[in-house]
Formats: sequence, C-alpha cells, structure tokens
Amino acid sequence: MEKVFTIKKLNLKYGEKTALLDINMDIPKNEITALIGPSGCGKSTLLRTLNRMNDLIENCHVKGDIKYEGNDIFSKDFDVIDLRTNVGMVFQKPNPFPMSIFDNVAYGPRCQGVKDKKILQETVIQALKNAALYDEVRDRLKESAKELSGGQQQRLCIARAIAMRPDVILMDEPTSALDPIATAKIEDLILELKQKYTIVIVTHNMQQAARISDNTAFLLMGELIEYDKTDKIFSNPAKAKTEEYITGRFG
Amino acid sequence: MKSKRYVKDKLTQLLISLVSLVGLIILVAVFFYVFSNGSSLLSWNLITGDYNSNVFNGYYSTEITTNDFAAPSSLSDEEYFSTRWGISFMDDEDTEGHHIIMITYVDIDSPLANIPDKNDETATISISSGQKLMTVRFSDNTMLLPSNGAEKANQLFDTKTSIADIMVSTSGKGIRGSLITTLYLVIMTLVIALPIGVFTAIYLHEFAPKKNKFVNVLRRLIEMLTGVPSIIFGLLGAAVFIPIVSSLTGADTGNLISGSLTLAVIILPVIISSTEETLKTIPDEYRQASLALGANRNQTTFKIILKSAIPGILSAVLLSVGRIIGESAALIYAIGTSIKDEIIITERSTSLAVHIWSVMSGEVPNFELACAISIIILIVVLVLNLSVKFIVRKIAY
Repeated sequence: MEKVFTIKKLNLKYGEKTALLDINMDIPKNEITALIGPSGCGKSTLLRTLNRMNDLIENCHVKGDIKYEGNDIFSKDFDVIDLRTNVGMVFQKPNPFPMSIFDNVAYGPRCQGVKDKKILQETVIQALKNAALYDEVRDRLKESAKELSGGQQQRLCIARAIAMRPDVILMDEPTSALDPIATAKIEDLILELKQKYTIVIVTHNMQQAARISDNTAFLLMGELIEYDKTDKIFSNPAKAKTEEYITGRFG
Repeated sequence: MKSKRYVKDKLTQLLISLVSLVGLIILVAVFFYVFSNGSSLLSWNLITGDYNSNVFNGYYSTEITTNDFAAPSSLSDEEYFSTRWGISFMDDEDTEGHHIIMITYVDIDSPLANIPDKNDETATISISSGQKLMTVRFSDNTMLLPSNGAEKANQLFDTKTSIADIMVSTSGKGIRGSLITTLYLVIMTLVIALPIGVFTAIYLHEFAPKKNKFVNVLRRLIEMLTGVPSIIFGLLGAAVFIPIVSSLTGADTGNLISGSLTLAVIILPVIISSTEETLKTIPDEYRQASLALGANRNQTTFKIILKSAIPGILSAVLLSVGRIIGESAALIYAIGTSIKDEIIITERSTSLAVHIWSVMSGEVPNFELACAISIIILIVVLVLNLSVKFIVRKIAY
C-alpha cells in the first residue's frame, strides 16, 4: 500500500506542555484516515503538523520527523508553501473569505500566479462541481460567500482546497458546526472525494468515523493508543482504553 | 405594592435617559445656534467669492442728455432703477453687517458699463451688477455714500448728468480660497499620512514579533501621541517643517506643504491606532485559511487582511478628515493666518477653521460669518461621512 505520510517518533510541545508523544503512524494514499479521541488529546495538533500550520504558533517545538512522499517536511530546504499547495486544509468553522464565491475558490490558484481568466474559470467551476456545490451557486458566483448557509460555506471551503489540485485534504472537524442534513451532505462528499484524494479527518463524532473512514487512529493525552482498520477498531479493539472510549465510557 | 427592586430599576433607567437627554439637548442647541446665526449669510457668493475685494475708480465727464433707459422686467420692489444712467440699486448688508448699496443691474448700453479708469488714462473699467457702491462725487461736488441708502442714490443719479469720481468694489469676504485650501490640506495630508499609518499598523500587528518590549514601547508611544495637544505639533511644524520645505522649494513663509506635513504628524497616531484596532477584529481564521492555501505572508496580508480592513481604514480616514478640517491651532503656526484667494501650495493661506478664528479674532468678532463658515464645514464633513458609508456598503462583503 502506498503511503503519503510517514510519521516517526513525532513529539510536539507547546512551551512546556507536551501535546504529542512519540507518534508513529503511516497514512495510506486514497483512503480516509480518521483521528479520534477526547478533547485535548492532540488530534487537531497532529493534523496541523501535517501541513505545518503549527509553525504559526509561537513556542511550538517539534521533534521527530514526518515524511511527505519521501521528503522530510521539517528539513531546511523543504518549501512549506509547496507542502501547503499539495496538502489542503478544511477548518472546523467554515471560514470563507469576505469576497465573492468565485474569488474565494480562485484565491489559491491566483496566489500561485494563475492569471489566465479562462483557466481560472474552468478551475473554479470544476472545483465547485467536485465539491457538489456548483448547482446551488451557478447563478451567483459573483455574490458574497458570506451569504451562503453554513453547510454551503463548508463545501465552498472544500472547493477552495480542491481548486489547488492537492493530493491530500486535511479536515479538522469539518461538520461540528453544521446541522445533521448539512453534515450528511459533507459526509457523502468526503466519500466521493476519496477516489481522488487522500483524506485525513479529525472528528469528535465516532459514528462519523465509523461511517466514512477506512482507518482510525485513537489518541489519548498526546499518545497514539491504537491505529488500525476502522472495522477492527470499532468491532474488536486491541486496547481496553479504546474500547472504553468508543463505547462511551469516557470522553 | 411594587417591590423595591422594581422601583430602583425604573429610577436608574430614568436617570440614564435624563443624562443622555442633556447631552442631546446640548448638541441640538449648538446646531440650532450655528444654523440660526449663520444661515442668513449663507449664499453661493460666500462660497465661491473672493476674499479680497477689488476697488475700481472711474469717472464720466461727458454731459449725459438722455433719460430714457427702460427698467428690466425682473426688477423687484426693493430695487431702485435710474432711467438716466440705466443702473439699479438695492440696500443690503455685507458679511460683516455694514450697510451697503448693491448694484443689481446695469444696462448694456449704459455709459457706466464702460468708463475711463481714474488711475490709468488708457484703461477703462466696467461697472456691473454684484458690485457695491462705495462713494460717488458728482460733477457739482454732491457726495453719495453707502449710508445714504439706495433710494437717495437713485434720486441723485436721476438728477445728475456727469460724474467726477465713482468708486465701486467687488463684494469680497468670500471663502473660496479657504475652502480650496482646506480641500488641498485634506488630500495632501492623507496622501502623506495614510500609507505611512496603514503600513505601520500592519507592521505592528502582522509582522512585528509578539511580546517584544521594543514594539510594546513603540505602541504605547503612538497611543500617547494621540493625546498631545495639536498646538505642540504646530510648533514642531514651525520649527522643523517650515525650514525644511523652505530649503527645498524656496518658500519663505509657512505654506501648504508644511501645513500638510504637520497635520500628517497629528493624524498619524489616529490612523495607526484605529487601523490596528481594525486588524485585531479580522478573524485569525482568514489568515490561517489563506496560509493553508499556500499563500505566502505578503499575499495573505495584502489580499486578505488589508482588503478586509478597508472599511476600518476608511473610518480612520473619516476621523482624520474631521481632525484636519477642524484643526486650527497647529495651522496658525504651520501655515499662517493670511486669507488668500489664489492658492499656491508653497505660499500661505488659511483653512476654513483658521478663517473662522481670523473672523472671530478681529476687533469686532463676526459671529454670523463664523457660523456661516461653520455650516459649510458641517456640510463638508456630512458629505464625506455619507460617501464613506456608501463606499463601505458597496465594497464590504
């Protein structure tokens, strides 16, 4: 099985506080990997390390290594901008920019220097179609993205990430701010996107992890307790802690 | 019986309403005073007119024999028309409240439309409507003065057949020069201060290291500058900017450039603080989303942060414009107080606020004119305010 990320002995500290401890895991290509665990277990931190968004946080120290398609992402000559164009991200709260729907999706390509209007147009429409949003917004591409509903905004954020033609999409609790109907749409979309992209998703919702993911990693207090096929984790977990968590005895 | 708590609650509400009512009454009273005093003087002539009046001095020695000029149909009851000279007069008051005789109409064939200039044998002068009559000495040495009134003037003109000396002046006391100076100051000051202020705020908020002592001291200093009385900046302008501008442009006195530089220093802390406040309100999610899309820091700053900050920056501009238009103390040093009609940016002139100061600091303070100018300032500020609101609504998503 092809691996996109190889994480070895990853340790992360915010100042004195340890957030991740000796994480070792591989993330397989074109599969959905879910990160689950109680609040503060380090799952979001782990996700944000994959595209080095933690660089923005002062006092954040990382040890160990992560290889993205064989390249060490912490090495000095590794281009973080390149990494972020290949590894897209969708955040917990839908965060479209205060501009039109079109400009939101075109933002990434434009930042990469794409100026040709025709190419931009095609990229935007294709991205919106892939994010299952095009039919709903085809007549109002010039209108403000802020006028969309929460679920539409989140799909717009996914389209924005897709427009960069990434290999990986990281999703940080993408449905936690949405109602059940919007959540169902996003979940369908995620399953659809699996064909083309590798997806790593952080979720609080265990049913969601069970429904959509191929692999599940359970984290607790910064440690990776168990990482296996989702079926295995939910039907026959190896560790007692995992079982306690997925059966709802704590968390 | 109502509970104590209920009564106390109602009393507090009443007290707060009364206090806000006092504030409202004061505001309304100020506006009422300004408008009731100034509106009578407000006219297009005041806004577009020259401040300096030109005096023309001429004569007409040829005996006039005809007496058959026809009065214009537009003549009102207050105007007196001389059929001998084809000219009409009206009683009026100038912007300083003195009684004057206005010339309201001159027939194109009237001899007065083209008479020899007393000071220059080869030149002629033209008496026309809108000028005011200062003195007339007819050939028989009868004198006519503004205090005689328009009716008397008309009687004399109808009976006398030649003029030894006539003096008229253009009305003057207009504020066009000061208005233009004010607009120049607003534009030049913003051109200087806006880029510096906005980029300083961006540096402080986006690029400067957080929790850095030097940056924090800098920020405190900028906040302190907001409270410094403007007259101190005026001294700075006189001591620093006037010599610098003089050595660069050859200006020998306070001038518009030194004034703009001084005002730029005054509004810089305002722009920096309010832009930084705006930057603080821009959600961090935008920065993160932008960076996660592979944008670099400059792209994030200019395409996302600065764009989202435009409404805030515009309201900073609005605050600054109010400050520029209202500033007088600093400008007295940095530009000077001489009211001009021809505005040259390397020479002195006055803004509307200094114009008011100048009107009020004469031997007889002219409240009416000061109020009229105040109304114009209020209108300018109101128009700017509304247009900024309009622009913000247009561009904000």
